[in-house]
Amino acid sequence: MFKQLGIVGTGAMGTGIAQLAVLSKIDVQLYDVNDTLLRRSTVRINANLRKMVSLGKLSQEEVQASMDRIRTRTSLPDLSHCDLIIESAIEDIRVKKDIFKHLDANTKSTTILASTTSSLSITSIGAHTRNPERIAGVHFFNPIETSALVEVVKGYKTSNQTIEKIIELVNLLGKTFIVVKDTPGFIANRVSQPLFGEALRLLGENVANAEQIDRIVKIIGGFPAGPFESMDQFGIDATLAEAQSLFEQSYGEPRFRPHPILKQMVESGWLGRKTSKGFFSYEKTNDK
Amino acid sequence: MKTNKRKTPKVLKKTAKDSEVNVKVNKGAPQNANLKPTPARIFIIGESPMVEQYAVLCAQHGYDVYISWNQKPTQKPEFKCDGIKITNIIPKNTSLVIELTNIDFLAKKKNLERFDKVLADTAPILSSSITLTATEQSSWILGRHRLVGISALPTLIQKPLVEIAPTIYSPKETLEVAKLFFQSIGKEIEIVQDRIGMVLPRMLCRIINEAAFAITEDIALPQDIDKVLKLGVNFSLGPIEWAEQIGLKQVYAVLKALHTDLQEERYRISPLLKQMAFTRG
Repeated sequence: MFKQLGIVGTGAMGTGIAQLAVLSKIDVQLYDVNDTLLRRSTVRINANLRKMVSLGKLSQEEVQASMDRIRTRTSLPDLSHCDLIIESAIEDIRVKKDIFKHLDANTKSTTILASTTSSLSITSIGAHTRNPERIAGVHFFNPIETSALVEVVKGYKTSNQTIEKIIELVNLLGKTFIVVKDTPGFIANRVSQPLFGEALRLLGENVANAEQIDRIVKIIGGFPAGPFESMDQFGIDATLAEAQSLFEQSYGEPRFRPHPILKQMVESGWLGRKTSKGFFSYEKTNDK
Repeated sequence: MKTNKRKTPKVLKKTAKDSEVNVKVNKGAPQNANLKPTPARIFIIGESPMVEQYAVLCAQHGYDVYISWNQKPTQKPEFKCDGIKITNIIPKNTSLVIELTNIDFLAKKKNLERFDKVLADTAPILSSSITLTATEQSSWILGRHRLVGISALPTLIQKPLVEIAPTIYSPKETLEVAKLFFQSIGKEIEIVQDRIGMVLPRMLCRIINEAAFAITEDIALPQDIDKVLKLGVNFSLGPIEWAEQIGLKQVYAVLKALHTDLQEERYRISPLLKQMAFTRG
């Protein structure tokens, strides 16, 4: 049983995991670098839980009890008594290695340390720590509230015991798990990469335009969303970062080479929905 | 000796409404109201199970369907609907032919040359062009104006949309007849460029190939790969399920054609996939 779950980082993923955890009656120590970020996160969780009340999924009392399970922290050593700590900071290997170095120094050797990275090597993140056998990956999918699956990533030195603990947590959070090997992109990002990579190639080669490709993929392929609307939703910058990571980690495997279109769009500031312009335009027209 | 001259048959110069090609349009009566209504005759040849799938669909929409295969299926198919006849001979008054070969290029060439000799000038040829471009196929025949490429893989014809690719020889009248035909069997069309793999087959086969590489590298169990893609990334089917539906021989044929056409390492084929295509198909 988990007495305390530590979460490092209050981005969308970290906040989502915290919300899931408190709803599953797990106490959470939520860490970020300053109080502003922490407050933003707890406000978001509170708002989400209140929405669930209005939908009849939760009672007021359960909202209060859930929020009471969250303790906010701005000092990593404050997480030292957690049974398991999930790191959910930005997707930057140097930042993650630094966090793990601090966690390694300030936790018991039995504390499980996990990263939500979707594209970086768990083995690499945990390298040079005292006990790499306690380090694993726990890759959640967006949107975390409704996505059923978690990839549990076994690094080169990750012990079976660590995997069992992660699985225990994933089950408590009500998710389905698959254990995967620590390789570039794991399974989901790697095997789905051709959907986006080939879509970009087809666009670049003028075989069809973005609307056509999305329509074909949805109507004939049965996908819920086309590759271009998905990239606009996820963010062109995030898509490029993930593609770049997969390409670099595989030492330049040609199958994973990012398409130049992505770089050009990012440099032009066309990042998708968040900038109202990506492969499609989302600009609101002024009503006269 | 026939001259290798592009000619647009007179009937195709008329509008689709006046066309003498007796293509059933949205289950309406044939265009010439003076004739006793008869179902339009269609000949379908190629690879199983695409031939059977197209045949059933056309028969269900009232066509008089004749079919043949490059290689007869080991088990004779049983059709639950009437109007499908198995024959090696292209029947007289065939209005339209559908060529569904992706793997055996020699057989495809023989089929197209036969159509070219036997069919009326007005009969369009809808030919699968995901492993050989429609333009290349057109170069084998004199009646180049009447060939249009289609994206054909097992089960895809069951969806409401079909990718079609005109060649540089296709006049708009041929495309219009192709569109009317597909509409008459309840499908809309999406016109794309005439390229190997077209859109969806290229994407699907690359995904299946990547799954095969992942299985080879022991990253996860095959059944788990499907689970991850469906639950994590919301695929309608996992790559293994897609491979079972399409058939590994077909997947291999598309990937081989892409690799040959584009000459890039990016399209190299998983040895596991190749092995399974030849042993399990």
